[in-house]
Amino acid sequence: MISKRPVSVLGLVAAGALALTACGSDNNTPAGGNNSAAPAPTATTQVECGGKKDLVAEGSSAQKGAIEAFVAAYGAKCSGQQLAYTPSGSGAGVKQFTGGIVDIGGSDSPLNKDKGEVEKAAERCKGNPAWNLPLVFGPVGIAYKLDGVTSVTLTGEVAAKIFSGAVTKWNDPAIAAVNTGATLPDKAITVIYRGDESGTTDNFQKYLKAAGKGAWTKDAGKKFNGGVGQGAQGSAGVADAISAGDGTIGYIEWSYVQDKKLSAAKLDSGSGAVELGAQGAAAAIKSAKVKGEGHDLVLDLDALYASNTAGAYPLVLATYEIVCSKGYDADTAKAVKAFLNVAATDGQSALADAGYVPLPDEFQAKLLDAIKAIA
Amino acid sequence: MSTATDLNRPAAPPAFQEINSSRRFKNRLATILVGLTFVLALAPLVWLLITVIAKGFQYVLNADWWQKSLAGLTSRQFGGGVYHAIIGTLLQGLICAVIAVPIAILVAVYLVEYGKQSRLAKAVTFTVDILSGVPSIVAALFIYALCITTLGMPRSAFAVSLALVLLMIPVVVRTTEELLKIVPDELREAAYALGVPKWKTIVKIVIPTAMSGIITGISLAIARVMGETAPVLVLVGYTTFINYDPFGGSMASLPLLMTSERLTTNEVGEARVWGAAVTLILIITVFNLLGSLISRLTSLKTK
Repeated sequence: MISKRPVSVLGLVAAGALALTACGSDNNTPAGGNNSAAPAPTATTQVECGGKKDLVAEGSSAQKGAIEAFVAAYGAKCSGQQLAYTPSGSGAGVKQFTGGIVDIGGSDSPLNKDKGEVEKAAERCKGNPAWNLPLVFGPVGIAYKLDGVTSVTLTGEVAAKIFSGAVTKWNDPAIAAVNTGATLPDKAITVIYRGDESGTTDNFQKYLKAAGKGAWTKDAGKKFNGGVGQGAQGSAGVADAISAGDGTIGYIEWSYVQDKKLSAAKLDSGSGAVELGAQGAAAAIKSAKVKGEGHDLVLDLDALYASNTAGAYPLVLATYEIVCSKGYDADTAKAVKAFLNVAATDGQSALADAGYVPLPDEFQAKLLDAIKAIA
Repeated sequence: MSTATDLNRPAAPPAFQEINSSRRFKNRLATILVGLTFVLALAPLVWLLITVIAKGFQYVLNADWWQKSLAGLTSRQFGGGVYHAIIGTLLQGLICAVIAVPIAILVAVYLVEYGKQSRLAKAVTFTVDILSGVPSIVAALFIYALCITTLGMPRSAFAVSLALVLLMIPVVVRTTEELLKIVPDELREAAYALGVPKWKTIVKIVIPTAMSGIITGISLAIARVMGETAPVLVLVGYTTFINYDPFGGSMASLPLLMTSERLTTNEVGEARVWGAAVTLILIITVFNLLGSLISRLTSLKTK
C-alpha cells in the first residue's frame, strides 16, 4: 500500500546529515578585521601544554574580549587546546564556579566572604582555598552623546554629582567650571546605568565614592544606587542606549566605547585632564595594591581611585579569574595552569587592541608565581 | 384589469431577489475587513523576513560560513563561520526527536486505540494539555533542577535535548492523536473482519494511513524546538569550538550564538547575529520542506 518505505527515506536523510558532519573545521585565520590582533607566534614563555582538552569558564562580560584574545593565544601556543567562555555576568560566574560546573570563574569583584562565597569556593576546591587572580585590567569610560560637543572633561566630583542627580543640565556651572572655553548646550542630562547587577557598577560607584570628594553619598555595590536615569541591560545595552539618545551619559568598559564609536569624557583628578585609553589606565594601575594574602591577589583599588597621579586615568576595572589553589584533578590542573600562563604572557600582547590594558611587569611576576603554585 | 396574462411573467417571484444595497454593502465591508486583516497579519512576517535577509544574507554566501567555527577569533575579527552552532542545533534537535517521537506516537496510539474514554486516557490527555502550555524556561529549569542540581550531571547538550523533549512531546501527541482519529473506522473494521489482530491493524493499517500527516507534524515540532532559546541558555555553556559530544562540554547552537554575540556591539557582532538568524531560518525551512517531501513520498497511493 505504501509507495516507498518511510525507513529508506529516513535513512537517506540520516546519511545526508552524516555527510554534513564530516566537513567542519576549527581552523581559522582572521580575515578583514579592523584590528587584526593575531597573537605573536614568536612566544617567549615556556608553557607546559596538555591536560584537559576543553576547559569551561563563565562569568563577567567585562572580560569577554580579553578572554577571546587569551583563547586565541592559548590555541596558537597549545594546539588543540580549547577554553569555552560564557559571558553571563560576574554573579553567574561565581555561582557556576562554586557549584563545580565550570573550571574557572570570571568576576569583576573578588569572592565575597560576607556572602559565604569564600567557604563555598573552598568546598568546591575540596577544602582548599580559591584564589582571585586579577588577569585583566581595563579602563571604564564615562561615555556620552551630545550633538555638537566632542570634548568634555569631568572630575570625580562632577561625575558623582551627575550620576546622583545633583547636576541635571549640560550647561550647569559645575560642568562649565571644568570645561573652560567650551560651549555646552542647555540640554537635560539623561543618565544611563546598568539595570542588572554588575561588577562595573560596583567599581564605578567605588570610584565615585573615593574620588567624589563627598559628592557621592550613596553606597557602592553591584546595583546602581544613584537614583536617577534609566537602566539598561548589560554593557551592550548601556552602549546602545547612550548612542540612541541625545544628552545621554553612562559608564561602560573601554572596548564598548570603541565598538560603538562613542565619545568618552576625559577625567581630571587634579593634575590635568587625561583621555580614556591604554596609556592613562596603565599609568593608574601601577599604583594598585594587593590586599589579599599569599597568592590570593585581591586588589585594593580605593587608593588608586582617589589618587591624582599626573597622566593617570583612575577609573579602571580589575577583573579576576577565580581558580582553585588545589583540588582540581591532575588533567584539569595542568590545563588551567597552561591557560593562565599563556593568558598572563602571550595573551597580554593582544589586549590593547581589544580595549584592555596589559599587566604591569611587577604584577605579571606575582601572577606567574601564583599560577605556578596551583597544584 | 386586463385578463390577458403576460406569458413572460414568472408565475411566482424568483427565489433569489436582486440583492439589496445594504446587503451588498455588508458584503463589501466584510471582504475589505478580511483582506485588511490578512495583510495586517502578513505584514510583520514579510517585514521580518525582508529585514533578516537584507541584513544577514550576504554573510551566509561565504563558504567558510558553513564550514568553519568561530574558534580563535576575537569579537573584532571578521571571518570564521557558524558550523559549530549548526551542528549543535541539529544534534540537539535530532537527539530530542529520537527520544520524543516514539514516546509521543505510542502515547497517541494508546489514547486513540486503547484508552478511548478510560480514566487513565483522560488523565493523560489532561497532562499533555498542561505540558503543551509549559513555557520553555520552566522546562529548562525543571531539567536543571532534576539532572544538574539533583543528579549531579554536568551541563551538556544532552540536558538541552531532554528539556526540548518536554516541549516536543505534547506537540507530537496532539497532532498524531488528531490524525489517528480521522483514520476511518471502516478500515479498522475491515481488518478485524479478516481476522487481523489489533496490534497488526494499528501497525499495518492505522499508522501507515496517517503517516504522511504524522511526519509533517514531527517536522514542524522539530522546527519549533530548534529555535528554542531558554533551554540552551540555562543548560549548556557557549563555545566557539566545534563539539560533537552531546554528553560533555559546552556546545554552541544558533539561538545561543545569537544571544552571546548580541553582547558584541560592533559590526562584527551584528554580522554574526544577522547571519545566524538567516541560517536558522534557512535550516528550519529546509526541515519543513523535507517534512513535506517525506510525507509526499510516504503518503498512500490514491488508486
